[in-house]
This record gives sequence, C-alpha cells and structure tokens, in this order.
Amino acid sequence: METAFFELNKISKYFAKVIANKDVSFSIQSGEVLALLGENGAGKSTIMKILYGLYKLDEGKIFKEGKEIKIHSPKDAMGLGISMIQQHFSLVSSHTVTENMILGNVHGVIDKKLLREEIKKLTEFYGFNINPDAYIRDLAVGDQQKVEILKALYQKANLLIMDEPTAVLTPQESENLMKFVREFVAKGNSVIFITHKLKEVMSVADRIIVMRNGMVCGDLKKEETNELDLSKLMIGKDLILANRDLTQKMISKEVRLEIQNVTVQEEAEIPTLKDISLKLHKGEVLGVAGVSGNGQEELCEVISGAILPTSGKIFLDGEDITQKGIREKIDMGIGYVPADRSRDGMVMDMSIAENMILKSSFDKKWQKHGFIDKKILNQYTLKEIDEYSIKAPSPSVVIQDLSGGNQQKVILAREVDNGKKVIIFDQPTRGLDLGAVNHVHQVILNERVKGKSILLVSTELSEIFALSDRIAVLYKGEVQGVFHHDELTTEKIGLLMAGYQVGEES
Amino acid sequence: MNAKLRDLFVTNIMAIVLGFVASGIMILFLNKNPIDAYYVLLTSILRDQYTFADIFVKATPLMFTALAFAFTYKANLYNIGAQGQFYIGAVIAVAGSLFFENILPSWLTLFVVLILTVLGAGIWGSFIGFVKARYNANEFLVSLMSTYVALAIMNYLLRTVLIEGKGEYPQSDPLNSSVWLPKIISGTRLHIGFVLAVLTCIGIWILLYKTPLGYRIRAVGYNAEAARMSGINSKKIYILAFFISGALAGAAGFTEVNGVQHMLVQGFNADIGTAGIGIAILANGNPIGIIFAAILFGALKVGGTIMGQMSNIPTSIIELMQGFVMVFVILAYFLRTWLDNNREKRKLQKAVLK
Repeated sequence: METAFFELNKISKYFAKVIANKDVSFSIQSGEVLALLGENGAGKSTIMKILYGLYKLDEGKIFKEGKEIKIHSPKDAMGLGISMIQQHFSLVSSHTVTENMILGNVHGVIDKKLLREEIKKLTEFYGFNINPDAYIRDLAVGDQQKVEILKALYQKANLLIMDEPTAVLTPQESENLMKFVREFVAKGNSVIFITHKLKEVMSVADRIIVMRNGMVCGDLKKEETNELDLSKLMIGKDLILANRDLTQKMISKEVRLEIQNVTVQEEAEIPTLKDISLKLHKGEVLGVAGVSGNGQEELCEVISGAILPTSGKIFLDGEDITQKGIREKIDMGIGYVPADRSRDGMVMDMSIAENMILKSSFDKKWQKHGFIDKKILNQYTLKEIDEYSIKAPSPSVVIQDLSGGNQQKVILAREVDNGKKVIIFDQPTRGLDLGAVNHVHQVILNERVKGKSILLVSTELSEIFALSDRIAVLYKGEVQGVFHHDELTTEKIGLLMAGYQVGEES
Repeated sequence: MNAKLRDLFVTNIMAIVLGFVASGIMILFLNKNPIDAYYVLLTSILRDQYTFADIFVKATPLMFTALAFAFTYKANLYNIGAQGQFYIGAVIAVAGSLFFENILPSWLTLFVVLILTVLGAGIWGSFIGFVKARYNANEFLVSLMSTYVALAIMNYLLRTVLIEGKGEYPQSDPLNSSVWLPKIISGTRLHIGFVLAVLTCIGIWILLYKTPLGYRIRAVGYNAEAARMSGINSKKIYILAFFISGALAGAAGFTEVNGVQHMLVQGFNADIGTAGIGIAILANGNPIGIIFAAILFGALKVGGTIMGQMSNIPTSIIELMQGFVMVFVILAYFLRTWLDNNREKRKLQKAVLK
C-alpha cells in the first residue's frame, strides 16, 4: 500500500469528565474525499480540531507521508498544508474579501495590486464569482463560505477540512460546493468532510469513516456500503421511527387555545404577525410550517407571554389571557420549548436540578420553610433523568457538560411538566442527532395522546407531516391556510411557504 | 472532593507565600532586608492582644463592602459604589445615634439605628438598580458616580446639620458611649460588629444558594434572557440586588461609626470600597471565602502600618503586597482547574485501561 498523505494513529483526547476520542486511527490518501460521519458528540469535530492544531492530543501520533509530525497550532497545520473551515466562519465582517484573505499572514507593506491579481486568478480558476473588494457583511452565507475556501486555497492548502459545510447552504449552493470539491481533489488534493447527513456522504465521498462515542466504528469504501448500513453503524442500533398511529383520530371538538386576529407590530415597522387566527383543540398537534423568520418565533412568544399582541385576543379554555405575562401563563399550564435553547431555555452554568425549577422557582412545592428543598428537587430530577433517559451521572451535573440532545431532553422534561394544557415546541429537534430526534417525536406524540394541545413549529417538513393533525402555513406573518395533514403534499406546502395561494399558478 | 479541598488550601497558601516573595523583591529594591521587614510584620501583629484584635476590627467593614460587590456580581451586575453606600450608612448611623441616644434605651437605639442604616443605604443602592431597570443605564458608571454624590452629601451635612457643637471642624459630635457597639474582648477595640459581619457572610451564602430568591438572582446573573423567558422579572431582581448590596455596604457604616470611630469625620476609611472589590475577587465571590480574605487584608493593613513605623519602609508596600497576593490567588484558581482536569483525565484513562 502506498504511504498515506496523512495518517492518524491511535489518537486519544480527554476533556474534563469525558473521553472525546479514544484510539482513533485512519488515513487519508491524496486525491481522496473522506467523509467523517457520526452523530453529534461522536467526536468528529474534536479529532479534526486536533489535526488542525486547535486541540492538543493526549495520546497518539500523526504522520504526513510517513514522517511523524507535531501540530501545536493552526499555524503549524497551515504550514503542513492543512486548512479547516469551521462551522462558524472566522471572517471579519467589516473587512473586504481581500483583507480577509491575507488575515494572519501578511508582513511588511501590502502590495494590493499584486494581491488582487492573485485572488482574481484563484476565483477565476475555480469559477467563484466573488468580487475581491466586496465587504464580507454584504455577502450571502454561501459566498462567505467561498471566501473561507479561497482563504485556504490562497494559503496553498492541500488538505481541506470542512465542518458541516452544507448546513448553512441552499440546495443550489451545496451542489456548487460539491462540484468544487471534485475539482479540487482531481488536482491531487484531499478533502475531509465532517457531516451527519447520509445523502451528502453518498454523493461526494470516496471513503467513509463512521464514528461513534469517540471511536472509529467503520472505515468503508463508498461502493461497499449504503445509507441504511451507515445509519446503523452511526447509531449503533436499528432506529425505530416514531410514527403517529393514524387510527387514533381522537381530536376532540373542544377548543383549548384560541387566537383571534392577533397582530404583533413594533412601532413604525412591518408587522411580524398579521391578523392571525388559529384554533388549537384538545389532543391535537397543530403543525406550523414555513420558511424560518416568517413570524414563527413571534407566534410562539405571543402565546407564551414573552411579547404582548398589538391587537387581537388570545383565549385559553374560554378565558381571555391576552394581557397575561409569562409567569401567569406558566401557572396556567402553557409550556414552551424555545428554538434557541441555550439563549432562552436554560442556564448553562447551573445544574440539571436547578434548570428543572427555572420556571417554577416560585412554586411552593420546591420549598421547605422558605428554602429550596434539595431532597425533593433531587428526587424529582432523578426521576426525570430516568424517564427521559438523560445521559447524566447526577442531578448536580452542570448542564453545560451535557450534549445538545441531552440538554434538550432536560428542557423537554421540564416543559412537559409545566405545560399541563398547552405545549409549544419551536424547532424542537434542531441540531439533534437521529436518536434524540426520535425521542423528541415520541414525547410529542405521547403528550398528544394524553389530551394536551401541542403547537409544533418546524422548518423540517418531514417532521411536520409525521406528527401534525393539522398544518398551518405561515408566510410573512400571515396564515396562508390551515389544512388537514392529508390534504397537503410536499409540493403544495412548498408553494404555500413561498407565498402562493393554493390553486394559484407559480 | 477531598483532593479538591486540599488543592484549595495548598494553592491559596502558595499564592499568599508567592505574594510575599514578590513583594519581598520589591522591598529589596528599597535597599531594605525583606526578611527583617516580614519579621517585624509578623511579630508586630502578634506582639499584643490589642494589635492582634485590631486585625478583626479592620476586617469587619471589609467583609461588608466585599459582600456588597460579590452579591450584585452574582446577578452579573457591577456595584462599584460600595464606598458611597458606606458613607450614606455612616451618615445615617451617626445622625440616628445622636438623635436617639437620649431618647431610647441604648440597646434599642443600636437596633433602630442598624435598621435605619441598612434601609437608608439600601434605598440609596436600589436607585442604581432602578435606573438600570427603568432606563437601561449602565450600573457600573451610575454606581461609580453615586460615590461622589454620597461623598458630597456627607461633606455638606458635616458642615451644616451634623457639624460638631463647637462648629470648628467639619465633623460630628462624638456619640454617647451608651450607643457604642459592645466590645467582645475588653482592652481591645474588637466589637460585636465583627460577629455581625461573619453572620452576615453566612446569611448571604444561605440566601444565594439555598433560597428561591437567591436562585433567581443567580439565574438572572448567568442568563438574563432565559430567566425572563421563564417568568422571572429581571428588573425586579436588579432593584432588589442593588438594595441588598447597598444595605450590606451601609452596614459597614454602622459598625465603623458605632463600633470604632464613635463619631463621623470627613472622608474617613476612604479605601474600603475598592479594598472590598479586591477581597470579593480574591474570594471568587464566595461569601464564606470573603470572611478569610477580609481577615487576610485586615492583617496586612494592621501589620503594614506598624511595619512602616518601625522599619522605615513605606506603608504603601502593603498595597503592593495585597495586589501581588490577589494576582497569585487568581492564578491559583486557574491552576486548580487545571489540576482538577488532569485528575479527571487520569481517572478516565485508568477506567479505559481496565
């Protein structure tokens, strides 16, 4: 066998309290696209950050073309021809493309003319349509990514690591990226793709490394495998999909939550919600579909009480709750799982137990003689940890140390309890791995069967279709229509989401 | 847990020793022998009961001002106006004592004055929280400037209403000895205010970590947005946190006036606000840690003054020493995290090998 371009040999990395990588070994050849596949928290990003010099390895060795190398910093890595494009771009948004390209490796006087020539050559060579003098802040996300790639090319990288590069791209942009990747490797370079999307892997990779729990659990050629096998390897077991039992047509006629002509409008701005009217029944999942940013967050917040409607009324079981604040609405039994859980849903520096009472710290049930009753709280938390199979050694673990999926489970456990009548789920599965997604879906369906009313906001259409009894489509703050879930096809809902009325020609 | 506790003691003691070594080098630059200087420092604090007890006398107001900073710090707010709140407390304490000393029995006077001081300084402090909550004013700047206003108020009152009977100097009449805080040890200046301060430290710890209110204050401090979304009124928390913070700093005014000075002099104890911030940082905001940090600072203050008198070393070297100790204690904090991580790592490695 020829010597590998880069080879990782038995690399281990320990973070406080967690093993991030254990004995990870694999190689990458020249002219190869390698996909690194795994769920969130499987250790994909960690191993790549080690290769890029952002983390220090605790055990193991790295070889380049057979020679052992030490990588202490990204600078070392770049010197060896390794470049990494992070999930969150590291660009200075108030600088131009050219200025960003030379960031970190510019000495003495800048020869702007020569530089522009070089960049122009690069962009033309790869067919990137980027103006070297444009400011980063004016560029679309896809173009910003191109600037990141250009930066790597300018630094003469021949191993490009991309961390979930398609997460922020439109399908069209993704296709262009794939095209670039193929061209790039055709010149004898290599690309490592970090991803958890199976489709992408099958379309672009030559070889696939599957990781689970910080270890490599599969090293396969694309021709030798398929999506199903890969997903099994990734999760470690067969996935049982949560599916709504369609025979359970138990939506009662009883209206639980009614929104009447609600408008939300900041002074002198375009209304974020315009004359919304919705009815939510007992034991019903009402899906809210739409391209994100079309008023979903405002809809959730106006129901949860975080914002008050400019006009219109909201009723819960016939009682007018329009002017009630968050705390009153919590007491009335409205639970809310916010989309941005780290910002709105939990206190990262506090323990699981402390996060459990975030919304109910006023409640006497947690108190004894005016003090927080640690015993009752811990018992409760242990019960929830068990019930929701949250992976945590004890209730006093700081929530920051949990994975995203487990953090979401903590919030879920809390909100299911808070939401005695209504639970609002805003993007409940965003950023979660398959196992956790499935768990969330199961919880939603269980609560529905218990007779709770559920508002499910999601940009994932498959999720909306799988769980909802009825589906409302939001576009620019307006309800495009409410449909029974079998009245809609993906095509039809796509048109509605784009602002067309049903029946209208596109 | 045991290893952690051991680290805590070992690293902090090391930090203090290193602080002394570093300031020792500074003393060398003054062409003095640091060993002699430290010998004087140590023997002077231990030379008699009176001096030794004075350490705790000095530590008393520092505990209060340190708590004042630490408490708002837990709500992610910065109260650097403890000096001003202390002055307001002192003014109320002296005015209240002078007013009530001949009307009420002495124990009742002390009690009423304490309540008035705490309330008054608390309201003074809550003003900072109010402008923060209502107008989103920067509490750092407002609290900073409020100190100058408090100072001006005190000076004005000392030249007018509160000026001594003789009307010569801008200072108040001395308090009747019946409203002095009782001594714990006779023959020293150590008064009951020290006990009050220690109890307050413990009480604040309980309030922060054991009660729903303290929980909410910390929740707002860590993530105000999540707290708001959870129905916690962060504006109320701002005002309340600043009220308690101001009340704590004001209590220092009470113990200083009724316990030590027995009168109000213009611009006294001008540095306990800043020293309080240092102590709070030294203790990493922990109310129990503040007790020990304040005693350390008290010892340095007492020893430094005597050292300056006896060995011709400027007393300002003590401030240098405080600074060095603080730097090393903060470094020790990072060292502890590092040690702890390594320990966890080794545990993991061992667990994997099995």
